[in-house]
Amino acid sequence: MLKYGLAYGLLSSQRRAREMLLPAITIATGAFLVVIVFAMSAGIKKQAAGLGHADEIGHAIVLIAVTVLLVGVVEAAVATTRTIAHRTRELGVLGATGVRSRPVLVALLVEPVVTAFFGALGGAVVAAVAGVVLSAVGAAKSGVSASGTTTGIVIAVAVSVVAAAVTSVVPIWRAVNRPPIKSLSAS
Amino acid sequence: MTVTEPASESVAPPAGPVVKVTDAWKLHKLGDEIVRALVNVNLEVRTGEFVCLMGPSGSGKSTLLNIIGGLDRPTKGTVEITGRDTSKITESQFAALRHDTIGFIFQSYNLIPFLSAVENVELPLMFEPYDRKALRQRATDLLNLVGLSHRLDHQPAKMSGGEQQRTAIARSLISNPTLILADEPTANLDHRTGEVVVQTLRDLCSELGVTVVASTHDPAVAEQASRVVRMKDGQIQAE
Repeated sequence: MLKYGLAYGLLSSQRRAREMLLPAITIATGAFLVVIVFAMSAGIKKQAAGLGHADEIGHAIVLIAVTVLLVGVVEAAVATTRTIAHRTRELGVLGATGVRSRPVLVALLVEPVVTAFFGALGGAVVAAVAGVVLSAVGAAKSGVSASGTTTGIVIAVAVSVVAAAVTSVVPIWRAVNRPPIKSLSAS
Repeated sequence: MTVTEPASESVAPPAGPVVKVTDAWKLHKLGDEIVRALVNVNLEVRTGEFVCLMGPSGSGKSTLLNIIGGLDRPTKGTVEITGRDTSKITESQFAALRHDTIGFIFQSYNLIPFLSAVENVELPLMFEPYDRKALRQRATDLLNLVGLSHRLDHQPAKMSGGEQQRTAIARSLISNPTLILADEPTANLDHRTGEVVVQTLRDLCSELGVTVVASTHDPAVAEQASRVVRMKDGQIQAE
């Protein structure tokens, strides 16, 4: 049954791509910042070490990265809440026709995960390109490291996808198990 | 009217009533006030009947339909569907019963906007392990049945209200249900389109043996029914 939920989720993600654009852009913004921070962190640490403040600067960079990731998590949760609100009547119809909860849960989880993946990947790629351009024109005095960029991309995409899935499960499960009459009467 | 083999197992027509509502009450709490949406309702509907629930807004028609379909539960009393007492089954068992036995038609159609007409018809069985080609063929046949063979790939936004409602009728038939519950199926349609929709429902009863219970304000719809049940203030006034 779950594979049919997955198939329905992929179909709806494909057809609802326009609705997914805004949440994807907000997630992309978070991913962009994460990758930029990681890409420049090695150079900044190096400069800070020269000034004798490596530890403080290192902690500050980690703090910035964590904050940016938390913003990404909140963005993923907000996007899911918005998606559920838009699809309440659809859930009511599925409930009224007696479709089981689990495949519907899977179907609705696909959209935030796909949004998070493509949003984060898009933001990360733009950040990587921006890093190369900034480095080439000499605008990044501390330098942009390839390994930091790669780490940033992996972390941004992984955290966005996991955060989207984790923050979506509970609200989607609640929505799926809401009495169909309530979902159908929602405006 | 001919359609391909049903995608789900066909349910044999019950010997007794398809619907039996006994002493049903529905009370809602609205602030400090108790609203009596249904008051001691008794109703039996037999196989192949087209029963119309008529009455003004707030008379309890939709509440009764929702209770019959298990979208809501009565505060008191029992509802039997094809002989099965639904007060003794869980929500998930009721969902399974709805899936196999009941088709819903809503006033506002409730089609999924990003799915085509044929996909909307397939929706109730999309999550089940049915052969996809057979399912597509059955959905296509049902759209032919309601006169929409030229609208298979159209999304709801590109269809008229009457076409959307006929798509919803086709969707309600995909599981080969014994019972169809239609809540104000013509309320959002012009008179002529409403007639087509009612005629389609009538044909389902006479030619496929499906039982239909519909709520309406419209006397023209009630004229087509095999039985009219008049409701007022949550009570059945007359049959």
